[in-house]
Amino acid sequence: MSEPVGVVNASVTSSPRGLWCRLGPLWSLVSLLAIVYVVTLMNSFLGDSVQVQLQYALVNLIIVVALQIFIGTSGVLSFGHVAFVAVGAWTVGLLTIDPELKRNLLPDLFPFLFDLNAPWLVAVVIGGVVGGLLALVVSPVLMRLNGLQAGIATFALLGVVNQVLTYWSSVGPRSGQSMVGIPDVLNLQTTMLFAMAAIVAAWLFQRTRPSRLLRAAREDGIAAASSGINVVSQRIIVFAVSGIVAGVAGGLFALTNRVVQSSQLNIELTFVTLAMLVLGGMLSLSGAVIGTLVFSLVDVLLVRLQNGVEIGAYVVSVPQGARAIILGLILVGMLLFRPSGITGGREFVWPLRRERPLPGMPPTNES
Amino acid sequence: MTGQLIQSLVDALSAGATLGLAALSIGLVFGVIRLANFAQAEIITASAYCLIFTWELGWFIAVPLSILVAVAMSLLMEFTVFSRMRSANPATLLIASFGLSFLLQRVYELMFSNNVRTAPVASGLAQTVEFAGVRIQLLSVATIVIAGLLLLGLHLFLTRTSMGLQLKAAAADFRTARLIGIPAGRVIALSFALSGILAAAVAFVLTVQSGAVGPTFGVQITILALVGAVIGGIDKISGSLAGGFLVGFVTSMLATWLPQEMSNFKDAYVFVLVIGVLLFRPSGLLIKGRGVART
Repeated sequence: MSEPVGVVNASVTSSPRGLWCRLGPLWSLVSLLAIVYVVTLMNSFLGDSVQVQLQYALVNLIIVVALQIFIGTSGVLSFGHVAFVAVGAWTVGLLTIDPELKRNLLPDLFPFLFDLNAPWLVAVVIGGVVGGLLALVVSPVLMRLNGLQAGIATFALLGVVNQVLTYWSSVGPRSGQSMVGIPDVLNLQTTMLFAMAAIVAAWLFQRTRPSRLLRAAREDGIAAASSGINVVSQRIIVFAVSGIVAGVAGGLFALTNRVVQSSQLNIELTFVTLAMLVLGGMLSLSGAVIGTLVFSLVDVLLVRLQNGVEIGAYVVSVPQGARAIILGLILVGMLLFRPSGITGGREFVWPLRRERPLPGMPPTNES
Repeated sequence: MTGQLIQSLVDALSAGATLGLAALSIGLVFGVIRLANFAQAEIITASAYCLIFTWELGWFIAVPLSILVAVAMSLLMEFTVFSRMRSANPATLLIASFGLSFLLQRVYELMFSNNVRTAPVASGLAQTVEFAGVRIQLLSVATIVIAGLLLLGLHLFLTRTSMGLQLKAAAADFRTARLIGIPAGRVIALSFALSGILAAAVAFVLTVQSGAVGPTFGVQITILALVGAVIGGIDKISGSLAGGFLVGFVTSMLATWLPQEMSNFKDAYVFVLVIGVLLFRPSGLLIKGRGVART
């Protein structure tokens, strides 16, 4: 199973061979959706506590997909996406909490926010728009930077947004308090549909011009620039798109958690989601999905083991707290021994296809 | 008013000195192997735990032991993790150090629980003295003195000894340094050891300040140090130091002088400043031109 991500596929369009090349990526989409579906189905075997964990996992999946859209396409590190998640969550919180409750719980709000209300689905969409707008506004500044500088600047963005949301009581709760009273409307199946929609959107976006141009620039910035690609403007588009997805994820987080607090949407979530992406492999959408699901499933398993599991006559259990350590070890071990992640930055392709190098292409090496 | 001004200046100088040391400890390693080591936070935490647990045995045991722990941790990280990742790019290295940081925090949680551990470490330094109408925290003065002595020592080491010169050369241009026969492994280990010593100094100051240590004790300062190092110019040892100092100084000044309702946002102002600096001087304040674009 090996196929360089996206870039090559477009050039070949004729002959049965070309058909495979076009259907190959479709296969990757279908298999990812199937995996998400199967994992979500598992809840019916595993009970209620797992159902809650799975719902969080699916929300995380959307955040990781958003990260992958930007980091995977541009090759630039971002620690700032949780800022878009946070504004998405804030938006949905403000739009779905009952106006009467809002008046009591969040007395310092701008007056016009008191009566602003929307059905949750609309609120989630608006959350995505707000996330995308924030990304669009800050991107002309951030997208000029590369490497470590980009990492630090996006991190600074997260710092600014988090402080503003923590202390600015005109748009949210007073500092140290949380937004409560978000309605209980989201179930696991709906979250799954959102996760699938995010995957489809990311897959479709991979096939668009900005995404292809930016991937070319990721591989060789100088060559891309000299072929006339304006890297900064392509990055701005991709950043805004990933901001929209992150904003939607934030809205779903608010509806899943039903309490929103700025401290939950900060560095820790940034690390966890980045860890999931690194685990799966940053450069492919499959990596984002597989990384999140593997990380989350190991987590589910470890929670189970913490409570003790009977295998035959023995009760197997791991000590409290060991769960996070094992997850950390998995991440560090992955970076040491397979830094390109589980998928190695490749997408799934039709497993039965015979591998033949494209004419004019160097043979792809099996991994 | 002047009294308050002097007082705030001393506080800001000491905050800047602490953050400068922390940034320097990151910059030293980055200069040599392009690793912005976020797990520096856990070295600081380990050293601080050591101070808390051994303080009752006397400072002459606790302080050397805390330095030893920091250096050992630093070297251990290098040998077990980072030495195996030499070919990785800076972004991957940064993420690896995040992973390590996350892992070690959980280990601390398991070993020492989530609650903070407390001990009156060097409580004598926590008092304030009044001097010509100016109230000054003894710790602030001590911090400035410690930082000054460490920087002087480091400067002498880097300019007067053969090992130090080798390290300086490696930090300036690692590849060329290797070509002229500077032993790579030894220089890298040296940079980790020195950054461990600096981390121990930071841990001492912070532990005296708060008297309480938890699993994420070193995270806050390391984040700010990393930010400072990058805006100062992480490619250059003096750049990291200056950037760290600047961030610490400005944050402390803002905390004192901004009106109450605005001082909540002091970190936000600093971060906006950081983005501005990065936009106009992406390689750092102290790096002229575009800097060395090595990856």
